[in-house]
Amino acid sequence: MKKNLEVVGKSVIRVDGFSKVTGKATYSQDLTMDNMLWGKTLRSTKPHANIKLNLTKAEVIPGVVRILTYKDVPHNHHGVVFKDHEVLSSGRVRSIGTPIAFVVAETEKIAVEAMKAIEVEYQELEAVFDPVEAMKEDAPKVHENGNLLYHYKLRLGDVDAAFKECAVIVENQYKTSMVDHAFLQPEAGIAYLEEDMVVVCAATQYPHFDQLEIAEALEVPTEKVKVLNPAVGGAFGGREDITMQIHLALASKLTGRPVKTVYSREESFVAHSKRHPMIMSYKTGADKNGKLIAMEAKIVGDTGAYASWAINVLRKAGVHATGPYEIPNVKVDSYAVYTNNPFAGAMRGFGATQTPIGHEQQMDMLAEKLNMNPLEIRFLNALKKGSKTATGQILEESFPLKECLEVLEKAFKKDAKGVE
Amino acid sequence: MKTINVKINGENYTREINEDMRLLDFIRDELKLYGTKEGCGEGECGACTVIMDGVTVNSCMVMAFQANNKEILTIEGMEDEKGLHPIQQAFLDEGAVQCGFCIPGMVLSAKALLDKNPKPSRKEIKEGISGNLCRCTGYNKIVDSIEKASQYLEGEDQ
Repeated sequence: MKKNLEVVGKSVIRVDGFSKVTGKATYSQDLTMDNMLWGKTLRSTKPHANIKLNLTKAEVIPGVVRILTYKDVPHNHHGVVFKDHEVLSSGRVRSIGTPIAFVVAETEKIAVEAMKAIEVEYQELEAVFDPVEAMKEDAPKVHENGNLLYHYKLRLGDVDAAFKECAVIVENQYKTSMVDHAFLQPEAGIAYLEEDMVVVCAATQYPHFDQLEIAEALEVPTEKVKVLNPAVGGAFGGREDITMQIHLALASKLTGRPVKTVYSREESFVAHSKRHPMIMSYKTGADKNGKLIAMEAKIVGDTGAYASWAINVLRKAGVHATGPYEIPNVKVDSYAVYTNNPFAGAMRGFGATQTPIGHEQQMDMLAEKLNMNPLEIRFLNALKKGSKTATGQILEESFPLKECLEVLEKAFKKDAKGVE
Repeated sequence: MKTINVKINGENYTREINEDMRLLDFIRDELKLYGTKEGCGEGECGACTVIMDGVTVNSCMVMAFQANNKEILTIEGMEDEKGLHPIQQAFLDEGAVQCGFCIPGMVLSAKALLDKNPKPSRKEIKEGISGNLCRCTGYNKIVDSIEKASQYLEGEDQ
């Protein structure tokens, strides 16, 4: 029976479009409540240090209601995979931006003034900023169990033997940099109580998981925590980790009043994750006709001070290290490493965005050495329907890479004509 | 404290304000017009764009007292009794809206452009919105929608 589809194949107006073109859409900074307090987060200005806090001067400022520290947090840990973030630092900061205290005051201005009045004594520790350095035995340890968080291994065939058969080999190292999502709406949120339930409204990509993490940190049952997600002003992966949600929930629970906080752009930059910078060493070999025979890659991903999604991201980078090409002999090692840099997590592509910088440059350089057209070498090695990837996956569904390359070929020819 | 008179979206307001208040905070916190957004607070992103005496300004970079005796248009003033402004309709029809946080500023920059130049080229449109950042759309559909808005407005005039 043929079904009439209401949406598929049709151009429809998005459901929230009207509210957004009229300015009526509510983002979390647009929420206010009666009797509302303001929160501000004091953050570390040093990448690696033991800290001591003195709240005396801040606490006496008129209008300061409460200053939350780690002592106020029942369960002081959170994190999407590993619980290696502290809600508020208990004495050691591992990166710039680590939350230390949450000031709650009658107005935003007073909260800022009090935040500045908190004295933080930093006893600086040796820090490590290069993930390759961080992998060495004698490197400063970011976390107690060492800096190597994850090692993914992929082995197919025999690369050492295969490289001996190659007519041409290209070997290079590629580096990508840290990237911020820079979603246009800085983080903002408000929390309030509904009887014994705490309600948190915040721009988030992960409301159901936020609920679990808030409940765990506050040591309350999940049914006592409600997370509402108003309009979200962009995210791109940057709102998958908790930022203010637990601070707000705790502040509201302890004061009994609604508490709001809005990050500045500057605070937003230090508060949320980044795209993993990667150092990728590639060795790729082909026969004299351009057919790929072997590829070896070592990928080191810098996850900064916290794990976030590093395991998943570096696994994905390893799985995608060959690019969309059929290679019979493959050896990949990808590593996620802690450093004292800002933490890295999810960002569009989730590890598959970085590796093309490596594998595609390798293809171009192989083509150049073989005096081949760069498109031709790609056509020759492209995965297609029925191919087996280096990880053993048989591509049973469509895999229209050749069609994509044909479109490119036409566009290049048109471009070339335009130049003439 | 200072007293200011401002006409916003056709309505006159007289208010006592602090000298250090930004126009953006005046619009949002005093008048509760939350359609104007703050994305950076330093004049880079254009999310807080409003039209002041016919010219777009970043309301985070203008002090409230500087708006004394001025006429301001915010996103809330774009609709009229007939409904959406043709620019807003074009943004909807072209699917130019994703997260929406840039849209109020983008719509106002489009209006300031089309008021002066009713039939802009794509290059002129891009220049017209060069002070407004969007992180979702890649701008193409926004440029398409301003082209379409130009056609809608031309049709209205005839």
